[in-house]
Amino acid sequence: MGFDPIGRSKNGEVTGPERQLAMVFDLNKCLGCHTCSMACKTQWTRDEGMESMWWTVVNTMPGRGTPKDWETSGGGFDEAGTARAGRLPTREEFGEAWKFNHDEVLGGNGKPDAHLAPKGDPKWGPNWDEDQGDGEFPNSYFFYLPRICNHCTHPACLEACPRGAIKKRAQDGVVLIDEEDCRGYRFCMEACPYKRIYFNAAKAASQKCIFCYPRLEKGVAPACARQCPGRMRHVGFLDDEQSSVHKLVRKFKVALPLHPEFGTQPNVYYIPPFAPPPLNEDGSANRNGSRIPLDYLRGLFGKRVDEALATIEAEIQKRRDGEKSELLDTLIVYSWPQDIFPDFDGDPSLL
Amino acid sequence: MQEPGFGSLTRRRFLEGSLGGALALSLSHLDFAVRPASAAGEKVRSGVDYQDFQDIYREEWKWDHVAKGTHFVNCWYQRGCNWNVYVKDGIVWREEQSGTYPQVKSDVPDYNPRGCQKGACYSQRMYDDSRVRYPMKRVGERGSGKWKRVTWEEALRDIVDKTIDVLETDGPEAVVWDQGTAQTTGCAGLGLSRLSSVLDMPVFDENCEIGDHRPGTAITCGKISFCSSADDVFYSDLILIWGGNPIYTQIPQAHFLTEARYNGARVVCIAPDYSASSVHADDWVPVKVASDAALGLSMAQVMIEEKIYNAQFVREQTDLPLLVREDTGHFLRESDLERGGDEDTFYVFDEQRGEIIEAPKRTLAWGDRVPALEGHFAAKGVEGPIRVTPVFARLREHLQNYTPEKAQATTGTHPETVRELARALANAKAATCITQSNFSKFYHGIEMERAQILVFALAGQMGHKGAGFIGFPYLHIDSVDMLGGASGSMAPHWAVRAMSLKAAPAFIKGTLGGLTREMVIYELAREEHKKRKFPSSILWLYKYGGLKEFYGGSQQWDPHMKRPLDQYLAEAEEKGWQTLPQTPPRILFEDGGNMLRRIRGYQKLLDELFPKLDLVVTIDWRMSNTALHSDYVLPAAGWYEKDDITWATPLSPFSQVITKAVEPWAESKSDWEIHCLFMKTLQQRAVERGVLTYNGIDGEEKRLDDVYDQYTFGRRYTENNTEEFLDEILRLSSNVGGARWSDVKEKGFARFTDIGNGYLSHENAMDVDLDDTMTACTWHTEKKQPWPTLTRRIQFCIDHPFYNELGETLPVHKDDPNISGDYPLKLTGGHTRWSIHASWRDEKNMLRLTRGEPVAFISVEDADARGIGDGDRIRVFNDIASTELVAKVTPAHSPGMVTIYHAWEPFQFKGRTSHAALTPNPINPVQLAGGYVHLQPRGAVCSPGSTDRATRIEMERVA
Repeated sequence: MGFDPIGRSKNGEVTGPERQLAMVFDLNKCLGCHTCSMACKTQWTRDEGMESMWWTVVNTMPGRGTPKDWETSGGGFDEAGTARAGRLPTREEFGEAWKFNHDEVLGGNGKPDAHLAPKGDPKWGPNWDEDQGDGEFPNSYFFYLPRICNHCTHPACLEACPRGAIKKRAQDGVVLIDEEDCRGYRFCMEACPYKRIYFNAAKAASQKCIFCYPRLEKGVAPACARQCPGRMRHVGFLDDEQSSVHKLVRKFKVALPLHPEFGTQPNVYYIPPFAPPPLNEDGSANRNGSRIPLDYLRGLFGKRVDEALATIEAEIQKRRDGEKSELLDTLIVYSWPQDIFPDFDGDPSLL
Repeated sequence: MQEPGFGSLTRRRFLEGSLGGALALSLSHLDFAVRPASAAGEKVRSGVDYQDFQDIYREEWKWDHVAKGTHFVNCWYQRGCNWNVYVKDGIVWREEQSGTYPQVKSDVPDYNPRGCQKGACYSQRMYDDSRVRYPMKRVGERGSGKWKRVTWEEALRDIVDKTIDVLETDGPEAVVWDQGTAQTTGCAGLGLSRLSSVLDMPVFDENCEIGDHRPGTAITCGKISFCSSADDVFYSDLILIWGGNPIYTQIPQAHFLTEARYNGARVVCIAPDYSASSVHADDWVPVKVASDAALGLSMAQVMIEEKIYNAQFVREQTDLPLLVREDTGHFLRESDLERGGDEDTFYVFDEQRGEIIEAPKRTLAWGDRVPALEGHFAAKGVEGPIRVTPVFARLREHLQNYTPEKAQATTGTHPETVRELARALANAKAATCITQSNFSKFYHGIEMERAQILVFALAGQMGHKGAGFIGFPYLHIDSVDMLGGASGSMAPHWAVRAMSLKAAPAFIKGTLGGLTREMVIYELAREEHKKRKFPSSILWLYKYGGLKEFYGGSQQWDPHMKRPLDQYLAEAEEKGWQTLPQTPPRILFEDGGNMLRRIRGYQKLLDELFPKLDLVVTIDWRMSNTALHSDYVLPAAGWYEKDDITWATPLSPFSQVITKAVEPWAESKSDWEIHCLFMKTLQQRAVERGVLTYNGIDGEEKRLDDVYDQYTFGRRYTENNTEEFLDEILRLSSNVGGARWSDVKEKGFARFTDIGNGYLSHENAMDVDLDDTMTACTWHTEKKQPWPTLTRRIQFCIDHPFYNELGETLPVHKDDPNISGDYPLKLTGGHTRWSIHASWRDEKNMLRLTRGEPVAFISVEDADARGIGDGDRIRVFNDIASTELVAKVTPAHSPGMVTIYHAWEPFQFKGRTSHAALTPNPINPVQLAGGYVHLQPRGAVCSPGSTDRATRIEMERVA
């Protein structure tokens, strides 16, 4: 197939696609409900070898996530653009698709004393630390972080594949694994700093989020976005000034990449989370404090997070004072789907 | 800005089908080249290289046809989502939300794309190992798990023959039906209600037993089912999440909350733990478990102390200006002033003219009168002067016990926080709450709800756009109430007309006598309730379920009781306040519910009730715990395998349908068909056996040889023409704008155009404007229509003997009793994110996205003190029972509280004992009150409810 230049670095310059699609995840609207996870599961990952895959998943933060400890598993590039060593996550760290003993418990010749339980005594799963978070009661904190393949501008996976089996599409920047060409070496899994690539043992191939390109090609938003009841996944082209994605990333600069220091230039952006103020020792509200430590947020979204939060906060104050706010109107989403994925407002049932 | 609709190809769709980047770019020059609508169907996908590796996934995204569907499981607050069901090769491949709700108003967010992760995997659930595929007969001991596959004919004949035997010997009250999540407002629901009506067999009124009866709301407002549409919060500037966790339990409409916040609303979450809903709040106010009444009363104290309450609202809408006797604390009634005077005429002191005047009954408006809220007055009683004062003045004094400083010991909430909250509520333009059926499940929950409504009433935050205390949500197409009980001797539209004529005198007499239409509806419902065909399941279980010791054991834990619960109940029964069943059961039909999961103290049913039953039949699509202990399990069709209409709520005011996307799997049948076949077999066997009559529940002779004919309106609507029946149901309904089955089958839903005349739906008391959000209770606030209470006002003084005896005449806080022993931890619960009741509790995806088995959320502090680590197995126990599960240790959880979320099946626990076994659920005697107009029980309200929250427990690590 040859080595396509898009997404590769040459002399320190990364060749970009003609246009780049992006998603913005609004963490102040994420319900942690995993409708995205299920939408993707029934759409793409139900076949043999894919049972344990969650191409999109929601992590409770702070937490160890999916796969376990992904944030400290290496990969990506350092400041000089040199690839950093990465660790290959294990199946257990992703979480197996546990099997259950329904046949024993509910079956026609059941065991009246048996109880339903996952087989194999699991110790981790894709959403194992849901709603746990950190802090000390009552100053506990957590929030939800949905994660997919970031369809990076400089994908470490793509650079790491010795076969050139990973491509970045010219027309939309979607990063795809050519599963026919893939030989299952899994260098991509090591290289991806977000650890969003799974291994299909049945096919001996790596697999990951495909940004629902068959849907995109028909003008339909990705399943995770179109099925999100929280209406928190904006989809659009970064260079389309009318799109909410463009406005949030480029115009208002309130949507930030996750772990920008990983060096891959992700194309999924996040509206950082607010939280209620912490409480003082005596139980009164400390309105000057931050329940989620700001350093924690800076660690996730970089230093621009302060500015992004301040921008939104100022706009909310404006709104309370009766003024208009284009930023908040964009985040609100009045008319779905036009306001949230204007280029992909098609109804799949009508195709 | 954007071209609307899907019919035309807009400039934003240029990417369709194009693979080559260059081509995409060239197509982008077609900006604004809107093609004719007809062209949209024939999309030419030039540039797609079908030799490409990318075809793998393109080929996967294919289907044969699409049908509309939803999940008529009881999601309650979050129910009603319109799904497209994609079918491939005769089976359901997947589902995806339709996303086709119309936008109500351009400046208010729309409803799309309602749904949740549970609905999004029903396509997998319906084909998994839990599914019942064939009629099955037990061959071993009950619960042994030994089954034999039988034919429908065998099963129905045996079940029917046993039923006829019992009808002959014991009568129909001995055959009881438990309803559950299978109920619809189409043919499945009518299947059961008509069956009960034709055969006189009782169907449990389980709303109170579930703990959804909102008892404090019922005694304060005279009703429970009033609720605004979910998008109405977009007009709110203050939203209190108080007694709910919408981020878990209102997933489809939670976006209105986060969007209202971006619109400038302040969201305050009041909860003991840092819940998922606190995450999206502007303030989180932690309160100790079961202390919400004290919190509310301390807010009320502040509002009155600081004089920031809305005096106009208080005077007009509440009983606070009504005069009470200073000697007894009871209302001043006409009977105090005149011999033979009535008991429901009340008085105020008019400040304008300085005289005591009668409170008007037909309107809330005072005209030029200004009722006093303060002062001491003398009324001329029949036996001399009576010192009287307004309820308000008495309440103000009473609230001195609840200053924020005093309440802090109970609530743990800082006094400044309480003051600030009270001021915010009083000063808000439009404040509302997200309150679910949580407080109903506390022993003293009645007081928590009273205190909540009190603060909303003092603040005047009711019945205007974006404002209001939110009750229980319910809305349905209104013909089904009548069709359930309509005569089968004629066509439905005649039968319904005949029923209307029969009820007409009551309405004429009632309204001429000064009752509102809703008061008449409830009065008729109170009469109906006495007929024992819709018995309180709590009282039934108390009497026949082996639960007397648990449910009647209140006095051992409640220090306020000076006499045992039995005495209260005997008095309530004797006076006609509560109605108890009169015939011990012989046959139990579990019709889509799951008593052996649901009932608090369910283990007693297995020990004491089931051995006495001749027959237990479960109708369900999945093997529930109750199914496991049944004699027969009859397979119901899945939710994508039948046609029906579901009930709804004002939160999402659309009547949803399910349609038969695929044929019922294996030998399963729709609920309607199963009920029809039961009735058909019953009629047939009655004739064959010569049992032509039996005695009904009132002792009168009833025919048994025509029950199928009666049931099916003379065979007009049977198992063979379901869609025609659904069409007739819609045709006879007044509140979905004349929608017909053929329309809704295609569209998936119909917007409610009116609240209609249905029982419970009518309680919403609002008009529907199709171009606006819906705001509950505006009939009261705008039209000044009286509330359906004794005093015809939102009523905070309940001078009923039980309330007087137990010190609850005015709203109070009472410490939660040590239910089930003196243990240090309080067991709480709540609906889970991961299932609707037990319907998804053992679904593989939902389990894989959690810990795979039951967990208890516990605090770091409590875990450390007991040497428990995250993921450890723990034993949770009290005087009643013990269960084992996994510890989920989190700093977000409040010390002293253990939360086990809703609806794990007992078969998911070692030894098959769930946490529901730990909750003895003692009846609070105030919930037995009656004989006081609005306190008298009617369907779904005012019979005793569950009290499982804050049951005492201890836990230990299992080695």
